[in-house]
Amino acid sequence: MIGRALGFLRGWFPLFVVAGVFLWSAATIFSRRAEEDADDTITLRIGHWQLEAGVRDGLNALAADYQEVWHRQWESGGASAEGKVWRELYPDKPKVRIVQDAIPETTYGQWVSTQLMGGTAPDMMEIWLGLQYPMWVSYLNRYFVDLTPYANRPNPHNAGTDFEKLPLRKTYKDGLRGAFVEELQSYVNVPVSQFAVRIFYNRDLLRELTGQEKPPTEYRAFLALCEKIRSGRTAAGKPYVPIASSAYHFTMWEYMLFDALTYPAHTKIDFNRDAFINNDEVYAGFRTGRVSFDFPAYRAKLVMSREVASYFQDGYTGLNRDDAVFLFAQQKAVFITTGTWDARSLQEQAKGKFTVGVAEFPLPLRTDPEFGGLIEGPIYERPNTAACFGVVRTSKYPDVAIDFLLFLASKRGNEKLNRYFGWIPAIRDTQKDPLLEDFEPHLEGVYLAMNMNLWVETYTKWLQVYAKYKADPKYSIDDFAKEFGKFYQERAPRDWDELQKQWRDGTLTMEQFLAGARSRALVARGAEAEGEWVRYRVMTAVRQVALQLQHARLLDLVEKGPDPGAIGPYEYTPHALRNVRERLARQGGGGRP
Amino acid sequence: MAGKPGTTFLPPVMRLTLLVALLAAGCGPRTATDPVEQLRIGWNRFRVSEFDQAAAAFEKARDSTLPDSPLHAQALYGLASTWHLRRPGDDRPHAKELYEQVVELAPKSDEAAWSLLALARLKHVPPVGQEPDLEEVRRAYQEVIDRFPGHLAGHEAFLHQQATRVAAYRPEEARQVLATIDAFIRRYPDSRFLSPLYDLESLCHFVLDEPEKRLAAELESLESREIDPTNPNMDNAAVYWTVACVAQYEVGDFATARKFYKLLLEEYPADVRSFGAKQALKGMDELEAKIRSETAARKPAAGGAP
Repeated sequence: MIGRALGFLRGWFPLFVVAGVFLWSAATIFSRRAEEDADDTITLRIGHWQLEAGVRDGLNALAADYQEVWHRQWESGGASAEGKVWRELYPDKPKVRIVQDAIPETTYGQWVSTQLMGGTAPDMMEIWLGLQYPMWVSYLNRYFVDLTPYANRPNPHNAGTDFEKLPLRKTYKDGLRGAFVEELQSYVNVPVSQFAVRIFYNRDLLRELTGQEKPPTEYRAFLALCEKIRSGRTAAGKPYVPIASSAYHFTMWEYMLFDALTYPAHTKIDFNRDAFINNDEVYAGFRTGRVSFDFPAYRAKLVMSREVASYFQDGYTGLNRDDAVFLFAQQKAVFITTGTWDARSLQEQAKGKFTVGVAEFPLPLRTDPEFGGLIEGPIYERPNTAACFGVVRTSKYPDVAIDFLLFLASKRGNEKLNRYFGWIPAIRDTQKDPLLEDFEPHLEGVYLAMNMNLWVETYTKWLQVYAKYKADPKYSIDDFAKEFGKFYQERAPRDWDELQKQWRDGTLTMEQFLAGARSRALVARGAEAEGEWVRYRVMTAVRQVALQLQHARLLDLVEKGPDPGAIGPYEYTPHALRNVRERLARQGGGGRP
Repeated sequence: MAGKPGTTFLPPVMRLTLLVALLAAGCGPRTATDPVEQLRIGWNRFRVSEFDQAAAAFEKARDSTLPDSPLHAQALYGLASTWHLRRPGDDRPHAKELYEQVVELAPKSDEAAWSLLALARLKHVPPVGQEPDLEEVRRAYQEVIDRFPGHLAGHEAFLHQQATRVAAYRPEEARQVLATIDAFIRRYPDSRFLSPLYDLESLCHFVLDEPEKRLAAELESLESREIDPTNPNMDNAAVYWTVACVAQYEVGDFATARKFYKLLLEEYPADVRSFGAKQALKGMDELEAKIRSETAARKPAAGGAP
């Protein structure tokens, strides 16, 4: 009998376990939801991936503040406009509660897709991580509330401040550009912070090893300092690592420093003069022979990347973000580069052990023998705001969710939130953490002019060859140029064709968008109609006609092939030079006209 | 007295009651089957890419209206747009039939103008992997221009038609386009597409290597440019930059170049081009100084001792 029972149990044991786990999780979810759906409380959920120190605390603090504001307004009833509205809309809900869903970065994209498609998304979601940009745009269009009307109205939570009458977008440092999605021609989110990337350093260790309080801002002096740090020994007799790095951190060095050297290529290949070098312009530049891997600016980037990376710890290409942070926190490395999003975490890890300093990336001087003729300035940093939250259409209380986001975007709320986060506030005239004083964006600077991400095969090969170059000191720039150059010549045309298909697909998407915009204009009346038609015409001219012509120009250049002597977009034509000479001759070498 | 069979199955009182009821229903609040409401739902669903729901709403609107009603044409146009532009699942032949029905049923309507333009766009922007027959595309645009010469759709068709010619980047086409656009602008000096038409002229002058005329066209384009005030990314920074670059590098007109670089710096100091603008201003000063010093160095030699 017992044996039969045991046999039965053995046979069905896995099923019992699965059923048990299912029942347990169902009961947990049910009890949590029941708690969230308390009769007198509006529960809002906010999903994000910010697991850094301070973020969840900051959101909890602001949620607590908002709960008070809401309750006060609700209680006041007709005494305030907001209270009247809330009381009318939610007569039995005097309380609000905000619950966070903090999701790891690695699974965020998958989580977003599942939640949105399953109709179980939180009321508010942070956007832009884990999915390709076009996918996010399609989700924003389909699942998120259009916040455009709020962008042009004052933020009610700025009442009593000098922003009281300003439209929301005018209260933002970037004019709310970070919330505007060109493809949708709408504001679809509320950004709460600004970010910048700088070098962080262990101030105490730097002093101990080099006697200096601050690292130099000049490139050669910085390398010399790294050399000096490397000659120091830890208690265990091992050399110090000058710069803690990883595959993740390398990209920041690349973007903020190495890429600055590529800027001179813009004079040759910014064919549409938009101050931005696209992947297709780089390809056209290579095909027409205006740039190559012998182009000094491109070679210089590779030289500098190897020079700086020689001060990273061994095997950094195989390490991840946390490995580098760990090395820095253990005081085995002096420098680490990262963004403001990590500032608070680094401070927390250093607490009681060492002081964290912040420094600019070291630029070569114009007199530098190797890079002096190529470096023209630091990398330009677009003052865009980020950490963007949208409101999901399936929210039971979208108006309250929007109001909470506006609370986070208010002058006082944003300052307080970012004080917890350790980030830079997105709202103008706000105070920031003293550590972040050096994080003012560079509003004058250069930009990357070497985008090799043409399409899948070419870019994969680029990454492979680049990885080899980073890992093997014997693999020279010439080896790099030879291996990748051959591939680029043979296979890139195929990727170029793929890019054309993508471009065509984008054209069809734009047709769809314009049909929607036209439909709005057709039904609108009066001033609203005029505004809609202006928007429609501008989009037609800029995103349909102008893009088609720019694209045709590149196709023409690629088809015609090599023309290395051609005059670049920022080079004088003989005609222009003749005109200048003639004018000056007429003026007798005198002053300006 | 009995009436004709088939027409008297309801007594007059009941007929009157039914009529009153129907009229009352028509005057009352709009229900979900109201075609106006269905059109609104259809376009809302279209804009958020819910194409099945959009098509269903447009079909309801179509089915609840008479063929000679303006709402019927609007419903057909919405339905045609849905089948034309939905991804995935587009049905271009069906869309074409529907657009043609709009033109046939309401030939003078706005929807007919936009349907004709859509028929041209169907030809101009074929599915990925196919190339457009440009001659046929231009003929289709010409039909919109001929049938709706003063309508925005006609002007848009003209813009697209001329752009297909400019895109060839050939001098003979560029000359033709210049003549055609000049004639169009003389006829429609208030066209709402003036600015992009001047942009086309600028490109034509670029192809023909006529830098002074190109600069003039750029300035005309700026003068007639429309700005969408709701778009925070839409400002004059890029246009100032383009005008200044053409003036500096192609014409050698440093006065104009300086004027527009300075405007850029004044109005958009945080723009990505501000660094380049400062560099360009410095570069022009340096070039002038260099030419002056070269000239000065040559003068003594030319007027040197006998």
